[in-house]
Amino acid sequence: MSGVSLVGVSKSYGSVKALDHVSIDVCPGELLALLGPSGCGKTTLLRCVAGLERPDKGNVEIGQRDMTLVPTRDRPIGMVFQSYALFPNLTVRKNISFPLEVRRRPRKEIDERVDELLDLVRLSEQAERYPKQISGGQAQRCALGRALAANPEVLLLDEPLSALDALVRGRLRDEIRRIQQRVGITAIYVTHDQSEAMAIADRVAVMNHGRVEQIARPDEIYDMPATQFAATFVGSRNAVELDVRNGRVAIPGAFDIPAPEGTGSRAIAFFRPEDVRVSGPATSNGREAVGMPARVELKVFLGSTTRLHLVGQNGAGPISLYSDLPSHSAREIDEGALVHVEIDPALVQAFPL
Amino acid sequence: MAVDAATSRPPATELLGARRAGEATLSRVAKSLFFGAALFYLCVPMVAVLIYSFSTRWTANVLPDGYTLEWWQQTLSNPRIQSAFSTSVMLATLTAIIDIAVVVPAAYWSRVRNPHIRPVVELAAAIPFALPYIVIAFGLMQFSGIAAPQYQGTFALLVAGHAAIAFPFVYWAVDGAMAAAGIERLSETAEACGASPFQIVRRIVIPNISPGLVTGGLLSFAASFGEFAMAQIIGRSLDTVPLWSAEMIRSYSDTAGSYNRLAVVTLLTFLLLFALSAVVVYWNRGQTVRLLPGAGAARTGDGR
Repeated sequence: MSGVSLVGVSKSYGSVKALDHVSIDVCPGELLALLGPSGCGKTTLLRCVAGLERPDKGNVEIGQRDMTLVPTRDRPIGMVFQSYALFPNLTVRKNISFPLEVRRRPRKEIDERVDELLDLVRLSEQAERYPKQISGGQAQRCALGRALAANPEVLLLDEPLSALDALVRGRLRDEIRRIQQRVGITAIYVTHDQSEAMAIADRVAVMNHGRVEQIARPDEIYDMPATQFAATFVGSRNAVELDVRNGRVAIPGAFDIPAPEGTGSRAIAFFRPEDVRVSGPATSNGREAVGMPARVELKVFLGSTTRLHLVGQNGAGPISLYSDLPSHSAREIDEGALVHVEIDPALVQAFPL
Repeated sequence: MAVDAATSRPPATELLGARRAGEATLSRVAKSLFFGAALFYLCVPMVAVLIYSFSTRWTANVLPDGYTLEWWQQTLSNPRIQSAFSTSVMLATLTAIIDIAVVVPAAYWSRVRNPHIRPVVELAAAIPFALPYIVIAFGLMQFSGIAAPQYQGTFALLVAGHAAIAFPFVYWAVDGAMAAAGIERLSETAEACGASPFQIVRRIVIPNISPGLVTGGLLSFAASFGEFAMAQIIGRSLDTVPLWSAEMIRSYSDTAGSYNRLAVVTLLTFLLLFALSAVVVYWNRGQTVRLLPGAGAARTGDGR
């Protein structure tokens, strides 16, 4: 099994820096997701690994071999595109066998390998159909089979699920993961959908403006985003701008934490809606309510959870925030009710503004 | 379709349905009339030529004085006409083949490998439409007189000239077919599959643009087959169908039956091109082919 190393890769289009000194090591057998908004350079990075773009600076290595100047067709890669890009003039079977046929493998070997792949991507029954005659999900499974046909060392996936509808997307995502693990291939997966990246990847690289902001396991990124951008991009979060007083960032009553290094007079605090503890309107159990008083502006039922839009009053001015509660505990909280809000300081992250 | 919908309506809306059906019938009649008129307009000249080719004498009356197969027999057995036909077919076929062989790699290259040269290629593909053929022909003759005088008046030079004026037909058809097939994307995919440029063109590009190839090939064939001005200037010593036809028209010898033979040759030309068109329609059934320059030109506007 081979890993992929990108060493100081830079690429500019005119004055636009698509990639700015990116260095990433993808471990053998790992699935790394490149996550970021459109224009962040994630697709350019993938195309550099594929050889479809040539970096201005830096090196691309696959399995310790320098591939920077090797043309695409000689790289040990398989690629899946957002638009499927199946060859319309070839059947599913012929699409999958294409990488083997251009390499002039013996007929018998091709037939055996294609049967195996058709079975792997569950398209044996559609083998003789043309791309026009199969569904989007089937087309993308076919593209996956084709990408794996020549036993590449690295699988490159460029937003493979973006063209599919939600239901198929979830199923195919799990299927791509299953196949990647079963084949045991190193994979790089480009997506702008953070939940997709979280669900499928061993590690996630969050990218912005041609740079990698953070590489970590999905749970680490979710719990402890390293930068302000990672915090805003991954998961839905409350973001509250606050004044720094005596070296501390606080919403009085809700939380109080030390200000991060390098903070001026203002800081931005992030915390997740599910970490906002809400105590009920009436202190029916006789206990004194703790936390910041807040009014429920809006209550949105989302199925298993209910989202409360809260406006806190702490003297300095109203503070808007969201709280996600399990729907059964939100049942007795009505719109307009007065509640108390608390956040575990360990779950709040502040960045300088 | 509207009529079918009307007949299946429930009784409550029958009246409305009947009125709709009435309107549908009316518009259908109008359509048929219009279509019939257009067909009549297109067919009358061909029918007249057909009758003329079978008539003994056709001057003062609505219909010919008598009918004969003589002109067809004479024409088909005339060695000069046979040779003019085979020269024209050879000329047009070579023109189409050369144009396809030159244009497909060039169009592929300008789309996939080097989009920067697209404006140049498109300009080149517009020049033969902008300049009269006679101007191009004189230019070519002047140029060949300086550069390669031994080729003046030869078949080879005429083929080269026809290839030059007919290539835009192939280019626009092929370029449109490439745009429709999304050839850039397919080409990248094939490259990632390990295919060489030659394998990409042969196994992916050509099969996916075949409607455009057939259309472009036919258009360049037809353009070359019917071309007169350039053949007149460059290929004076040759005998092509248009050159022979022009000579027949100029001869003023109706008594010798030259107009009747001309009618036969006109019909033969028509039948040849009609048969080729039928092949194109058959090939392209169910597929959209963008023939007009607009499709390609509009895309370059945002592409570059």
